[in-house]
Amino acid sequence: MTGHQTLGPAAATALGQLNERLAAKPAAHLQVSGLSIHYSTLRGPFNAVDNVSFEVAAGTNLGLVGESGCGKSTVVKALMGLLPEMTRVTGQALLDGQNILGLSDADLQDVRWNRISLITQSAMNSLDPVYCIGDQICEAILAHEPVGKTVAWARAEQMFALVGLPAERLREFPHQFSGGMRQRAVIAMALALNAGMLLADEPTTALDPIMQSQIMSRIRGIHDHMRRSMILVTHDIAVVAETCETVVVMYAGKVAESGPTQDVLDRPLHPYTMGLQNAFPRLPVRGQPRKPLISIPGTVPNLLLPPAGCRFAGRCPFATNLCRSVAPPTYQIGAQSAACHYVERASQFRVAAAEPDTWRSMEPSR
Amino acid sequence: MTDQTTPRPVIEARDLKTHFQGRTGIFNALAGAKPAVARAVDGVSLSINAREIVGLVGESGCGKSTLGMSLVRMYQPTSGQISFDGDDITHVEGRRLKAYRRQAQIIFQDPYSSLNPRLTIGQIIEEPLIIHGIGNAAERRAKVIRAMDIVRIPASENIDRFPSDLSGGQRQRIAIARTLVLEPRFIVADEPVSMLDVSIQASVLELLEELSRELGLAVLYISHDIATVGYICKHVAVMYLGRIVEEGRAEDILAEPLHPYTQRLMASIPRMDPGEIPERTELRGDVPSPMNVPPGCRFSTRCPCATDLCREIEPELCEQPGGQRVRCHIHDDRGARQRPDLERPEAGRITEIADAGLLAEATE
Repeated sequence: MTGHQTLGPAAATALGQLNERLAAKPAAHLQVSGLSIHYSTLRGPFNAVDNVSFEVAAGTNLGLVGESGCGKSTVVKALMGLLPEMTRVTGQALLDGQNILGLSDADLQDVRWNRISLITQSAMNSLDPVYCIGDQICEAILAHEPVGKTVAWARAEQMFALVGLPAERLREFPHQFSGGMRQRAVIAMALALNAGMLLADEPTTALDPIMQSQIMSRIRGIHDHMRRSMILVTHDIAVVAETCETVVVMYAGKVAESGPTQDVLDRPLHPYTMGLQNAFPRLPVRGQPRKPLISIPGTVPNLLLPPAGCRFAGRCPFATNLCRSVAPPTYQIGAQSAACHYVERASQFRVAAAEPDTWRSMEPSR
Repeated sequence: MTDQTTPRPVIEARDLKTHFQGRTGIFNALAGAKPAVARAVDGVSLSINAREIVGLVGESGCGKSTLGMSLVRMYQPTSGQISFDGDDITHVEGRRLKAYRRQAQIIFQDPYSSLNPRLTIGQIIEEPLIIHGIGNAAERRAKVIRAMDIVRIPASENIDRFPSDLSGGQRQRIAIARTLVLEPRFIVADEPVSMLDVSIQASVLELLEELSRELGLAVLYISHDIATVGYICKHVAVMYLGRIVEEGRAEDILAEPLHPYTQRLMASIPRMDPGEIPERTELRGDVPSPMNVPPGCRFSTRCPCATDLCREIEPELCEQPGGQRVRCHIHDDRGARQRPDLERPEAGRITEIADAGLLAEATE
């Protein structure tokens, strides 16, 4: 391994022990149940997340997908304890059996970065511009592990190698890094303490396609080697299809559908999932007729005044009066579950949803 | 509107260059140092016919937006020529420039910042008409209503609302209506859907296609979301560091790209079906700065197949049997004949692999 040569024998031993200690951390198990989050606003409580439940088995990836404003980032912030003070959070998030919602600051410190770490959406804003990158990574290590600066620095060098950055650039400042490099640095930071649970909040959204695929390959490669658990928040269902075993589709603060990724993409039960799939642009394959791109008419409802029934009813081509008045319970079908009154008609819906006219017909005022 | 018998393109750029002058400090200037030049667009030829949508793709910083803005003369090109309907408009000024701008319009990426929040929708769409002195108040209002009709935003309910009352997709439609109200013949759409949610992207793309077909518009569709390009464009050009590296029919470029850069670009698109996931070689580093263009092929600093020939001689765009044009020594032997002493790259032969091995090493 490069970088060891400069360490003295004592420091090298300390680094070895640190690495062993960190490698021994098991992947975390997370059980979120009945999570509701209300932001207090001047115009009343804003119900950003409503009764969301999901489970991340140890060592697996879960994809959290949805449009902007559907509450997926709010879930991540709640898990990290990053919500503003005027927020009411109810429900439970059991990380290896311990509820991590509403912890005191002291208890949170033990959880954050040590057991659960975050790869943020905009690497530009999540790095401190006045410290060099190496110091920022070391800070996290020194806060949780009884090691010296040299050892922490050597660990940071290893993390840089892991994400494919040269160790000498640890001394540089965020502004000297390009967008892709910054995102890698943030990933290195999130891995520094080998936390059992990684939260990746749109890690590649601001990046170019090539950089995006390279970063996602990194994340997948690291996942394969270290077997951490991960929640990947994204609006790109294809990224989830390539990365995650399970998927949770959120719409307007609620879980619309969840289940094993392959099942959900092959046989979506919720009309929103079907719409999302048909709206997703794909590359043409030679010799195959291409499916039309279909948009979902309408907009996400205002969560200050959430509609009475199903929150998707206003945009759903299959909605009935029942949908508009009664919120659907969650039905379990095999490993999949969906919040739709008509899950048993999903196979009919799937055929109809592939027709552009189905969605177009319900656009009185588009 | 257009005469269908003439095959003459609506807009044509020949060897267009747009360079930006950097600044030097006073000491460097006194020492005689020349300011650095960013070669954002560096010799691009492109033509678009009526009823045609040409897709322009590439990473950020490759010059695609600069090209779009040069074509509508928001930037003054450094050299080369732009013809609109056969007229050279590269250097027109004053009244003639204003007349050109009435014909050539641009839609910007971000519908949240490109509409003035203090004007109503009606005022926003009317503004270009006032600037160009078209019609009286009643005629203008009729034109505004017609433009809103075309983009399917009901005028009766929305004409007196403010942009903040509308969703992102609706705002982008308003931005489109604002360009249409002048009845242009050429539109540059600079990433018009990248800020919109996936669920509504399709409707804006559909609208663009419809407009091009029904109003006979020539459209340059700029995007880094390559998958969307395939839905509305017949012709696609791929840019890298100020130059077109590959162009041709959309289905050829998207399904069977020839240039190593295009191949990597297409491979990088995430696939829904795990069986479809292509092999992805890691590229070294980032796009070089346009201030510091590498010698030889511009992609040679990152290309996995690059050889000495690539680092010495820049390939020309070369027409392939299928009609595709590509700028790469793999598909063009002119460079190799010129310098037979240097090794020529071959398709699929990887000469240099980026740091892919580091991962395995680091986790051991």
